Amino acid sequence: MSRAKLRRMLPRVIVNGAVILAMALWIVPTLGLFITSFRPASEVTSSGWWTVLSSPLKFTQFTIENYRSVLSTGGMTTAFRNSFIITIGGTVVPVFVAALAAFGLSKLHFGGRTFFYGLIVMMLVVPTQMTFIPVLRLYNKLSLSGTFLGLTLVHTGYGLPFAVFMLHNFFDALPDDLFQAAYIDGASVWTTFVRLAIPLSIPAIASLVIFQFLFVWNDLLVALIYLGGHESVAPLTMRLSSLVGSYGQSWHLLTAAAFVSMFVPLVVFFSLQKYFVRGILGGAVKG
Amino acid sequence: MLKRSRLWTVIFFVVVGLMLAPSAALAQGNVVTVLGVWGGQELEAFQKVMQAFTEKTGIEVQFEGTRDLPTVLETRLQAGNPPDVAAIPGPGAMKQYAERGALVDLSKHLDMDVLAADLGPAWIELGSYGDGFYGLMISADVKSLVWYRPDQFAAKGYEVPATWAEMEALMDQMVANGDTPWAIGVESGAASGWPATDWIEDIMLRTAGPQVYDQWVAHEIPWTDPRVKEAFEVFGKIVRNSDYVYGGPAAVLSTNFGDSVSDLFTDPPRAFMHRQASFITSFIRDANPDVVIGKDVNFFLFPPIKEEHGNPMLGAGDMLAQFNDSPAAAEFMKFMATADAQAIWVGELGKLGTNAKIDPAVYPDDVTRAMAEALAQAEIFRFDGSDSMPAAVGSGAFFEAPLMYIGGEDIDSVLEFLEHAAQEAY
Repeated sequence: MSRAKLRRMLPRVIVNGAVILAMALWIVPTLGLFITSFRPASEVTSSGWWTVLSSPLKFTQFTIENYRSVLSTGGMTTAFRNSFIITIGGTVVPVFVAALAAFGLSKLHFGGRTFFYGLIVMMLVVPTQMTFIPVLRLYNKLSLSGTFLGLTLVHTGYGLPFAVFMLHNFFDALPDDLFQAAYIDGASVWTTFVRLAIPLSIPAIASLVIFQFLFVWNDLLVALIYLGGHESVAPLTMRLSSLVGSYGQSWHLLTAAAFVSMFVPLVVFFSLQKYFVRGILGGAVKG
Repeated sequence: MLKRSRLWTVIFFVVVGLMLAPSAALAQGNVVTVLGVWGGQELEAFQKVMQAFTEKTGIEVQFEGTRDLPTVLETRLQAGNPPDVAAIPGPGAMKQYAERGALVDLSKHLDMDVLAADLGPAWIELGSYGDGFYGLMISADVKSLVWYRPDQFAAKGYEVPATWAEMEALMDQMVANGDTPWAIGVESGAASGWPATDWIEDIMLRTAGPQVYDQWVAHEIPWTDPRVKEAFEVFGKIVRNSDYVYGGPAAVLSTNFGDSVSDLFTDPPRAFMHRQASFITSFIRDANPDVVIGKDVNFFLFPPIKEEHGNPMLGAGDMLAQFNDSPAAAEFMKFMATADAQAIWVGELGKLGTNAKIDPAVYPDDVTRAMAEALAQAEIFRFDGSDSMPAAVGSGAFFEAPLMYIGGEDIDSVLEFLEHAAQEAY
């Protein structure tokens, strides 16, 4: 290999090495969790997960008992169903509302729209926890607490500021001329929204769906406050957290539980992944 | 493009449909809602109790479990929809809720004479505040226990100590043999430090006596009092010494309390004694399925330190309080006070019942029966001090302080930190 070629390769080797190192650092905790989820409780407490690396092919040290106990817990089907109801409602509604709002704030010209946009973006900094008591009080009056409808509405409320912010930026990047041309052809505002704005922003909407889906799927606190932990309405996160005793007994089951609950978001992520990358870049280069 | 707008229509109807889906959580009529911290095995046991109640009365029980109980309960209280019944952390929390008028006086519904005969004065007193009775203890855990392996003690020629002097001699004998006396772990997530508070409370009861202990819990004596300092130092002599505790202070701080007992079961044992409450048996069973409790591992009582204070018993328990004055909730509280209900609950879990009429035969093993006997025979019983203090100290500064102390911080500055926190909280 010639010197010149080596010199050309060197930066690439360094960059690739750094990327691999960073990836390894990111993946180690997850890998540890994954290995732990297949180890029996007695070994989890007496030795670290890395000890299996010395003899990774000794299959007798692994067990699927943790997964079996998690999946055979009573009420698991109900919990999955509840999680789906909550997550689908809590994703579709805010994304739909945010698309309408962001379109209006970005492409329609009316007085005070900068003010309203600013107001919505300001909501991003309000801590969720501060809203619990007043909203719950209101919910009790309207008898919305403990209902899926109520939870869908709060997830919509908590998700909207970010969703509007993200879609607004994306719509802003769409050329105004395109919409002018549509208006000249006789399109109504609704038509330009449905036939121009939405198809063009599918990547941005897909990434938003992923964000919101993950947020709602993983949520424990919001559901606990507004829905309550009763079995008939409790989502998966709540069911899984009650696998552990009040002093933290049987915590090793949580390792398996984490992967059970991770499965659905992974499917969603990989099926929307090709849009996701485009969505993050959405608006990065004006075209 | 028509297809896409049709897709939106479909999505719209799906969403509306989901939102209108009837929710089962609308608790109405003959239902009691109960908020508790129990999960796993405990939850299964409580479900059996709930089932028995429903069979007896026809009233349905809806249980909500969360380990974040104080936060959720506080939010619900503020918002005006507390659960009918909640399992609260202890007498300290009960007093705070009762003071705010959030609790229902149970003496209105329960026959107090029957209750006094069933529970005995100690449990009644713990649940009383002012003129009312607000907190019903349904089960207890005893804490002044030292776990050890009889076979290992026999093999090494160690004797169970009956006094603190014997305990100190035993510890030195172990060190001389190259063994490590104690396994201690204080890590417990956000509640890290509580196992150390139990140690200090146990010592405090024995070095300063129950009267001073009560004054200390009520903050009638400052944390900088020499008697408090003494209790910390007795604990420090063990926990800060790498000869006396497995792994030294660093391991104590980083080991989970439930895992540290496993050091007794390694071969050879890493340590020979473990001071922990009765509930540790469920951890032992989880992590070491082969260990037979009662045979391979047993307990002796934490030995008395100063003769004049005798050998008190430190304990904790599950306390129920009623937040809504509904007849169904009152019925549930009545049920939970009975020996029948408690027998189901404690029989499944190895906890100890508070109702004296419980047949000892319901306890799952001899060890639990021995604990029940120790509790019944204890001349002096005191409730866990940290559970009786205001939360800012009891589960705040007092959890943090032993961590600082074990980590090597100076005892006086640790106690000043505690005193500072206490002056703001009481």
